[in-house]
Amino acid sequence: MRAINMKKATLKMPLLLAIMLAALLLAPAAFAAVPGITGPNLKLTAQAEYLTQPDGSAIYSWGYGCNGAPSGFAPAAVSGAFCKNMQVPGPTLIVTEGQTVVVTLTNNLPSAAGNTSILFPGFNVSTSCKDATPVGQQGLLTCEAVPGGSVSYTFTATTPGTRAYYSGTQGDLQMEMGLYGAIVVLPSHIPSTCSNGLPLTNPGNNAAAKAQSGETDFRLAAAAYDHPSTCYDREYMFQFSEMDPRIHREAEQQSSRTCTGCMSVATEPYVPAYFMINGRSMPDDMDPNYSPQYPHQPYNGNPHLHPGELVLLRIVGQGRWQHPFHEHGNHVRVLARDGNLILSTPDTADPNLAGPLLFTTTTTPGQTIDGIYYWTGKGLNWDPYGHNPASGDPLAKLTCTPDANGYNTGTPSAINYFEWCQDHNKPVETAPFGDVSGGGPVTLPDPNILVNGTWFGGSPYLGPNATVRAVGSTGTTPPSGTIGNSPTEEAAFAFMWHSHNEREITTNNIFPGGMFMMMLVDSREFVIDESN
Amino acid sequence: MVNRKISRICFVIALMSFASMTASAQSFQVQCPTTTVTHPSKLHDNNSEPSYAGPTNLAPNSQGFLAPTANVNGAIKCQQISGGDGFATMADGTQTYLFAFGPLSGLKDMADGKPGTEFPNVFNTASTGLKPGDPATANGIVPGTWPGFPLPTNALPYNGAVGLAPDADAIAGGLCTAPCLDGHVDPRQVMDVGVMNGNIPAPLMAIDEDDEFFLTLTNVGMVMRPDLFEQHTVHFHGYPNASAFYDGVPDASVAINIGGSFTYYYLAPDAGTYFWHCHITPPEHLQMGMVGQIYVRPRQNRWNGDLYAGLTTQQGDLRTRCDSRDILCSNPLPRVETGASNDGSKKYAYNDGDGSTRYDVEYPLQIHGFDPNFHFVGMTFNPEAFVDMKDKYFLLNGRSYPDTVTPGPLATQSTDGAMHFSQPLPSIINIPAGGRALLRISDLDVTEYQTLASLGIPMQVIALNARLLRDQAGNNLYYKTNSITLGGGESLDVILDASDTSKYQRGDVYYLYTPNLDHLSNDAENFGGLMTEVRIN
Repeated sequence: MRAINMKKATLKMPLLLAIMLAALLLAPAAFAAVPGITGPNLKLTAQAEYLTQPDGSAIYSWGYGCNGAPSGFAPAAVSGAFCKNMQVPGPTLIVTEGQTVVVTLTNNLPSAAGNTSILFPGFNVSTSCKDATPVGQQGLLTCEAVPGGSVSYTFTATTPGTRAYYSGTQGDLQMEMGLYGAIVVLPSHIPSTCSNGLPLTNPGNNAAAKAQSGETDFRLAAAAYDHPSTCYDREYMFQFSEMDPRIHREAEQQSSRTCTGCMSVATEPYVPAYFMINGRSMPDDMDPNYSPQYPHQPYNGNPHLHPGELVLLRIVGQGRWQHPFHEHGNHVRVLARDGNLILSTPDTADPNLAGPLLFTTTTTPGQTIDGIYYWTGKGLNWDPYGHNPASGDPLAKLTCTPDANGYNTGTPSAINYFEWCQDHNKPVETAPFGDVSGGGPVTLPDPNILVNGTWFGGSPYLGPNATVRAVGSTGTTPPSGTIGNSPTEEAAFAFMWHSHNEREITTNNIFPGGMFMMMLVDSREFVIDESN
Repeated sequence: MVNRKISRICFVIALMSFASMTASAQSFQVQCPTTTVTHPSKLHDNNSEPSYAGPTNLAPNSQGFLAPTANVNGAIKCQQISGGDGFATMADGTQTYLFAFGPLSGLKDMADGKPGTEFPNVFNTASTGLKPGDPATANGIVPGTWPGFPLPTNALPYNGAVGLAPDADAIAGGLCTAPCLDGHVDPRQVMDVGVMNGNIPAPLMAIDEDDEFFLTLTNVGMVMRPDLFEQHTVHFHGYPNASAFYDGVPDASVAINIGGSFTYYYLAPDAGTYFWHCHITPPEHLQMGMVGQIYVRPRQNRWNGDLYAGLTTQQGDLRTRCDSRDILCSNPLPRVETGASNDGSKKYAYNDGDGSTRYDVEYPLQIHGFDPNFHFVGMTFNPEAFVDMKDKYFLLNGRSYPDTVTPGPLATQSTDGAMHFSQPLPSIINIPAGGRALLRISDLDVTEYQTLASLGIPMQVIALNARLLRDQAGNNLYYKTNSITLGGGESLDVILDASDTSKYQRGDVYYLYTPNLDHLSNDAENFGGLMTEVRIN
């Protein structure tokens, strides 16, 4: 048994930070999607393993994993998929509306931990305690697997959406130790408008734009629900949880006891030090899915999107605390709570969405939110592409022809596809910057008194063409090789998505860390590849 | 690829042409243009808010972009703030160290509890006779006499940009004629007023839809922490379709060093209650006090006539049109035409089109929490721990009860021996008998969720996160409740409707308080905390 590795993090912080940063910058571009295993027959095991944290510690945890190879992985375009016998969060279970889902769970936790189980809130579950094979033991909330034993849970995936699943046995300890995951039910009837293209107000072209730039489809489906307002272009999952290392340490110390179910770990007072999204703390969450250095934390959080794309956020509260998740850059339309679409009542024939618009989506334990986000740059009152009709560069002189909603959607192959045309060519800076014209409202200070961020694209503008044209000797470009958002290759607008109970963007007293990731809005010059 | 090559050649040419230019020597500066592309002064008075009659007429100009030709809406607004440190007084009398923003414009308005956001003709006036600690010091506050407030009402008339001074170089060079207030500042005045002058909450800001807002952050440094070379930024929380550049996240943009000024530029977004804060090391800078509110007033305030017709007219502006098929559209035309109308004098929280968000008085209520241990460690040269962070002061607008019901601003004696303006905002909700109060509630607590309850008048929640609660079919989804709960980084709008004068009579006092009962305390005092009064006048 490996000893828990709680290093004196503060002493080693500078070195660790340097290693973290180096690892981050040397890693290949990492993206996200919603990877998982496909049903409807799913064989899971509950086991103990160690989770790695960016402060260098390895934390004894319990998690669900695959009991043998799963029947398949989705989305198919994500490469390198694996499902080991323990992971946190547990495997994302991907099934289709109407399917009969059978989840068989084998309890491979230490016998001192006693029984374990899974709850599937939102479904009408029948268990093997009724059917007698495999033999389970009826617990307070559901049928439980005894140490070394198995149980099965059978239910019909009646409605689409994102839901949580988690242990129904001694939840205060087993949830804390990592026994939770998410289940995604795909709609059986994709609205026809989704295949016609997105978004509804500008039909037809997002899929064409994606094809024009040679991008693959990384969605699980074209819509989140059987409703035309739930069509989307990309999707990402965010599972929030936290860990108190004392509880894990005590569980580890008692795990070798030979008696059955005799483990006794106090779960109060509760002092979490690790705050995770998809089982990882920042910056690990921005490394790729299925990255080999996190064998038991396969899922990441590193959203990318293009202007105008509808992005489905599947937000899940795990653990025991609420976390206010702040999405920089725009609001999120809440589609559904716990897989229940929120609709207005009067228009029963064509019900409209009635979920709120939020810039901070609270994740409540066990609760899920499906929401849609997009970013277009509308309303900035300046041209984020830095177009300049007097330039010699043809890309600086692109045209913008507004559709009925004011966006440039007529030419899906244009790199300014979905530009907001009212601000086309409109300058922001008073003085010209390189090949971006002046005449705008504001003056930047001497660049020598500014500090550049790690994800700063190098200029106020979006995309490599505008950025390279804009930055002269002004020095706004960070030194090459020290950035996560190259001015000449990506030059994205980076937005921080994080818990706004800001104490939670730390890892065991170290800032930055915890529930924090960067979301990047990429110009169409940059190909978003989420295949890993 | 050919395009890329051309652009790289241009880039090299640009590099060479810029190499001959010299960097500007002036590091502090303010920006408040009197005319812009969007608000040309020849078409429009930028020193007042014109009434709204319809969308601005736009036509392509000689530089190839759309510029207004008539019917210009909105105006120009400017504000200057300091980023630095200071002290505040907790309700148990404890002097507490802050990392904080302070006012460097609109000093009089801020002392009166109003937003410090000004039109160009107010902002662009040179300062005279300001002293360290202003506006506290100019009002004759003697050290050690706190709480010798409220301020006399005739105090300190100055609302302009602190430090603004004639640009002698530009005048001598023939570039500008006296007085030439072009944004050049005298840094001595900025340092005199800005150092150790932090406020909690940070300066209040308010703009109107269609405004251009020039927000200058001047980093005066943290005198108590000379070991820190901290930058500060402004994150306008909730700004839709933000640019990363002006989003204030230092990782994704630029951040201003000590001794410099950076001007953030925003076109006013859709009406609503937003907030703003520093985004440098947020668990530390937010806990230490760098949090404030900014709200945007709707066009409907400036409309004369039927409100439904007004909102219909607004649909002619593509930028703000709310097509219900647009998934982020928040205020489509209401399902019911109420016939409500504005004569230009009524105030609304949102462009509701039905008058349902009308109010008589409005109050910001900013929820926050301070951990005294963290603030103490923050004043020393030791790193603070985050795991054990535990708030012991629970604040509404930077104060706990009973300071929440002390009228006027509070001052705190700082380590320079002078009284400094520290907590500008009381939280007394005065409602005229028969009136409706809008509470703009925001929470920037760093550690936990906070609940605020109304004992008396029910709360009607009309908006969440700066967006009207209305479904895409146009039905209002407002709800009545006795309490609201917010996490850090959330806001909502509540109407307290006291229009039934048989129930809510002149002289009545009600309470807003937290049912998180352990938050009704001021550190060791088992009394106070997150509580204030609602008074019917």
